[in-house]
Formats: sequence, structure tokens, C-alpha cells
Amino acid sequence: MRIRVFRAVPDLPIRLKLILAFLAVIGVGGIVSLFIGTRIMHRTIITLAQDKVRHDLSAAWMVYNEKLHGIADVVRISAARETIRDALAAGKPAPLAGTLEGVRRQFGLDFLSLTDARGRVVLRARRPENSGEDRSSDPLIGRALRKEDAAATAVLSRAELLEESADLADRARIETIPTPMAEAGAETREDQGLVLEAASPVTDDRGAVLGVLYGAILLNRNFEIVDKVKDIVFEGERYKGRDVGTVTIFQDDLRIATNVQNETGARALGTRVSREVGRTVLGEGRAWVDRAFVVTDWYISAYDPIHDAGGRIVGMLYVGMLEKPYLDRRDAVMGTFTGLAILCALSLLLILSLLTLGITRPLRAIVEATDKIAQGELDHRLRIASRDEVGRLARSFDRMTEDLQKANANLVEWGRTLERRVEERTRELREMQDHLVQSEKLASLGKIAAGVAHEINNPLTSILINTHLMLEQGDRIAPFRENLTLMAEETSRCALIVRRLLDFARQTPPRMERARVNELIERTGRLLEVQAGVHHIKIAMDLDPGLPTIELDRHQIQQVFWNLTINAIEAMPDGGTLTLISRPGATPGTVDVEVADTGVGIPRENLTRLFEPFFTTKSSGTGLGLAVTYGIIERHGGTIEVKSEVGRGSIFTIKFPAVKEGDRDAGHASETDPGRG
Amino acid sequence: MPDTHPKRILVVDDETTVCQSIKLALADEGYSIDLAASGEEALRRGDLSDYDLILADMMMPGTSGLDLLKGIQSKDPAARVVIITGYPTDKAASQSLRMGAVDFLPKPFTPAELRAAVARALAIKARTAGMKD
Repeated sequence: MRIRVFRAVPDLPIRLKLILAFLAVIGVGGIVSLFIGTRIMHRTIITLAQDKVRHDLSAAWMVYNEKLHGIADVVRISAARETIRDALAAGKPAPLAGTLEGVRRQFGLDFLSLTDARGRVVLRARRPENSGEDRSSDPLIGRALRKEDAAATAVLSRAELLEESADLADRARIETIPTPMAEAGAETREDQGLVLEAASPVTDDRGAVLGVLYGAILLNRNFEIVDKVKDIVFEGERYKGRDVGTVTIFQDDLRIATNVQNETGARALGTRVSREVGRTVLGEGRAWVDRAFVVTDWYISAYDPIHDAGGRIVGMLYVGMLEKPYLDRRDAVMGTFTGLAILCALSLLLILSLLTLGITRPLRAIVEATDKIAQGELDHRLRIASRDEVGRLARSFDRMTEDLQKANANLVEWGRTLERRVEERTRELREMQDHLVQSEKLASLGKIAAGVAHEINNPLTSILINTHLMLEQGDRIAPFRENLTLMAEETSRCALIVRRLLDFARQTPPRMERARVNELIERTGRLLEVQAGVHHIKIAMDLDPGLPTIELDRHQIQQVFWNLTINAIEAMPDGGTLTLISRPGATPGTVDVEVADTGVGIPRENLTRLFEPFFTTKSSGTGLGLAVTYGIIERHGGTIEVKSEVGRGSIFTIKFPAVKEGDRDAGHASETDPGRG
Repeated sequence: MPDTHPKRILVVDDETTVCQSIKLALADEGYSIDLAASGEEALRRGDLSDYDLILADMMMPGTSGLDLLKGIQSKDPAARVVIITGYPTDKAASQSLRMGAVDFLPKPFTPAELRAAVARALAIKARTAGMKD
């Protein structure tokens, strides 16, 4: 599961990841601090409440003891009254009944009685008629008999209460109500009563004990103390219809005086303390300060054991504060705390969201830019101004894009250049190849021609000689003279063809010399005059007088011009204009010569084959003229091109190369060469 | 000064028809004509130096015309040789002349041209012979 979660995380956008991470931190931190905060706050509040309730218990004890001391004071002061002393001393206590009853009523005692020096009751304020009972076994009375003032909490049995007053026994009787968390098995009990009792000796002038005056108030159903404590300590504070503070006096584990209310709102008399509290306080004599379930609610409570004069635990004094207000207060604080925490978390989330937006927006811009650049928008720029890492990244990215754009531009330029170069090279190569093919053809043709010429010339020699020898026979061959003459002529024609072939095949290197090409053109023009006149052809010349001299073989170039011009004249059977032009070439030192006619023109399909040997359109041609011309120009390092349009004429352009630097002074070398005979 | 002895001419050509034709063309000129079908055959002749003129075809299998020219010249430096050839090139012509041939006659030729060339060659011989003498 964890692995799966972590595997899924990388797929999320960075912004979500950051937010999730922060949420996790906030969440964990918040929950932990809430938990700890709650615990601390709870403990603090409860501790505070417990301190308060402990303090309140002390206040309750003060009220309790004040009541006890009050009783003790009444009994002591009364015991010191002369009327009581005198009556006892005289052994006639009966007349004191009114006095005692007056005191009892005045100070709210439940009973006030007098014993003699042996501890035998001589007068009861409530029941003057009931006397004679020995009370010397009562610890307080016993102490008073020993001339001590004594006051303490005490437990009186029903019988003892009955002795004092019948209504006291009834008051003390409290029905035990089954209580959920109380100790089991203590439902039956004697109808005892818990009293605050005081006893003081009555002494004569010499200090001899005449008797004991003792009095008490019954705590059962006596709400004076508990209500007074409630009023003083809690000032009657109420919470949701219930008293916040409660005070109870227990006789043993039974509530005998309390302002804890039961479900019906009545005082919860007769209910019992919870088992746990009972065992601690009653069983072990220790104080209990903690939360405790009292009747119907949880209370923060304090219990102290109540001891009688003999140190026996006879009951408990309890002060409790309703826990609910504290819990509610705690919950309110916790609610505020939690609310604040959530508010903080939300604020953080908002801030975080804005912050991450600040981080992820440029990143997203970069991502989008990447897409755009991938699609070829190389002029796209981010232009993010921030100085952080993302800003640096963006600037690097921009620089990279710029470089890319430049590189791309270079590449495109290179591509174009390359394309151009490839085209140029291809053209050059094609030209070279054409040239080479042409040269190859010429070369192989040359070899064939040489062989053929040799082989054919031998039979031609025999035929020519014998035909002529026959023709020399005069009248003897008269009938055949015409035939023989034809034979001789045709043989000569064969010989001429073979000679042309040989001329072509000979491929003699040109004997170069410095020459003015215009001179050769002019001579050609003069030689053509007769033939041109016959065919009604006009010869036009446009010769640049400022041409540089070039190196050429006069005989060969003369032959070239001758071939071209004769072809031109033959192309114009119905007359026309033969134009001879010379002009400087494209590069310095070079010369262009143009031979143009207004003749029949050359069909496109023939243009490429024009310079091939034996290619001819003329019935009488050898097909070697232009091939020879081509060969000569080639050997001169020049080029020859033809442009033609059927019906309008053709233009042959010869481009002569410039004189090579090293050959400048070699112009006359050819003069000394041995020539052909 | 009339010469009582007819001029002796040796024609060397591997083409027998050419040899025959030349002999026919020169038949009425009063020359004594011998034929050889190869350079080797010509060189084997013991009387090679006795000829007044040798017409040799340049291109022959085995001993070529130029080889023959060299061979003749080693026996008779004053020998007159006319090189004839069916493959008349500038190079061939200049080479033959440089090697000492008195003329160079390209094939095909008419009887008239042949006779003129032979007469011219013999005249050169007469002149050089005269100078020699």
C-alpha cells in the first residue's frame, strides 16, 4: 500500500505534491498538537478544579468544625452557669429543665442533657421525665467527668437517640436506596445517627465535678452545614439547572445530609458512596480527590474521613463540583483551539497554494514553452524575471532556445548551401560525365577509325590504281569509260571519307600559338564569300577589336570555323544571314565566338547527339564534322555549346580559355615545330 | 645521260593485291620491279642494297616498314626508301622522314601520284648519289 501510494505520487503535478506534503505536515502537526493540547488543557483544568475542590473541602471543614466548636462553646458556657452548678450541687436538677430547654432552643441543639458526677443522666431538656440512665461510657462524657471539655463527631444508636428524643430517632432513620456503584451487601444497617456532640464538666467552687452537661445536633437530615458550605464556597452557582457545588456528610457510606440532587431534584439522601471511594476513604482513611460519579453525574470531588473522638472513621465529608461545566469549558476552549488550528491550516493552505502557484506557474510556462519549441516555435521566449532557481532555469532555457534557433538557422543555411553545392556538383559531374562519355566515344572511335582506315585503304589502293590503269587504255575501253570514271570518283570519295575519319581519329594535339581569333574569323569570311553568294546568304560580322590574344592551333581552329560556317550555310538552303561574333568572355582573358544562322534549326531531340561521330541529318554528310570540331575545341581547353530553335536558326558558341600565366612567353614555340609535309 | 640498266625497285607490302597493283602501275615506266610480301622476306634478299628504290608499307605484321627502313639503312646508308601507309598520320609521316625515308605516300593513291612519287624519289637518289659521287 505504501509502495503503491509512493508510486502514485510522482505522477501528480508538483503543485499538488507540495500541497499534499504541506497538508501532511499540517495534518500530523495539528493532530498531535491538538491531542497534546487537549491532554494538557484537560489536565490543567482538572488539576485546577481539583485544587479548588480540595480548597473547598477545607472550607467545608471550617464550617463543620465551627459548628462543632459552637456547640462546644454553648455547652461549656452553660455548664459554667451558677444555676446549673447550684442545682446539681443541691441534687435538685429538675427546676433546671426550663433553663436547659431555653438554651437548647436558643442555640439550635437537638438535645441538651445533664448527668451527675457518676455520669448518670439527671435531666434531659427534651425529656425531663426520662432520667437515670448511665452515660459514663460515652467517650465525650467520660472525658468531661475527668474535667475536660470535649467535642467531637459521634455515632449514636437508635436507642440512645430515642433516650434523648423520639423525633431524633425518626430523623436519623434514612432509607437506604440501591446505588449502582456502591459497595454491595451493606443495605441493612442500624438506624444510627451521626451527631456533633460536646460535653463539659460542671464543677463546684473547689473544682470537684458535680456532673456533665452534654449536647449535640443530629447531622442526619440536617442541611445547615452542607447548605452553608454550598452558599459560602459556591455562592449558589448553578449550571444548566443543577447546583455546581455539592456538599455531603456521610455516615459511613450513606448520604445523611447533602445537597446533591437525585433525578427528581430532591436531595439524594439514602444513596451511598461509590465502592472505590468508600474503600479508599472509609477503608484506608485516606482523602480522595478525583473525579467521582455521584448519584447521577460526574463530579470533581474531594472526600475526607470523619473521625469520632476515639479516632474511628464514622463518616465522610464530601465537596464536589459538577464536572460538566469544566468539561464544557474545556470543550469550548478546545473548540476554539481546534477552530483556530483549522483556520491556521486553511490560511497556510491558501498561502501555500499561492506560493506553489508562484513556483509552478513559471515551471508550467517552461513546460508549455518546451512543447511550443518542440513544435518548431523557436522564437518563443519565457522572459521570467525572478532571481530564484526557476528564474535561472528559465533564463538558461531562453539562452538554450536562442542557441537552438541560431543552430537551426545555421543548419537551414547549411542545408541550402549544401543543396546548392550538390546541385552545382551534380551539374558539373553530369557535364563532366557527358564530356567523358563524349571523349570516350571519340577515343574508342579513333582506334576503330585507325584500324578501319588501314584495312580499307589497302583495297582502295588496288581499286584506285587499277581503275585508273584501265582508264589509261584509251579507245580500248571507250564503252566503259563512263563506268570506270564513276568507279574512280567513288573510290576517291571513299578515300576522302576514310581521310576524314582519320583526321577525326588522329586527335593530334594542337600546336598552340598566340593568335588573334578575329583574323581567323575574317579569313573564314573571305573564303565563304563565293559559296555564300551562290546561296543568297548575307554574312554579318561583329568582331570586338579589343579582344585579348589567345593560344590556339591556327589550322585546327580554322577547320572549326570552316565546319561551323559550312554547316550554317547548308542550314539555310533558301538564303539567310550568317552572323559571326567575337566578344570578351565572362572571365577576363577569355574569348567567346558565336556562329549564328537563320536556318532551319535543329530539333530538340537532335541537340544532344549533335556532336556524336557519324550523327548526320544530311544525306551527303560523313557525320564527322561537328565531332571533329568538338574534339578540337576540347583539346584547346574550350567549350562549344549550341542553342537552336526549329524554323528560326541555330547559334553555336565557342568559349576559348584565357592564356595560362606560365605560357605567356611560349607563344612562338610552335613556329619552330617541324610541320607535316 | 641514258641509263642502260633499268632502275630496280622493290615493293614490300603484306597486301599482295597492293603489290600487284603497284607493279602494274609502274609496268610501263621501264623499271625492274620485285615484290616482297613481308619485311622479313625483303631483308632476306642478298641483293637488297642493289635496289634503287624500296617502297615499303609501314604497317606490316612482324617487321614493320620502319624496321625494314632501319635494316636497309644499316646495310646501305644511302638507300632510298619511300614509306607508304594506309594509316597516314602526322606522327607516322614525321617519324619516317626523320628516320631517313625519302618520301611518305599515303594510301590510296592513283597511278599518276605513284609514278610522280617514284620519279621524285629516284631523282633525289640521283642527286644525293651525285653529291656522293
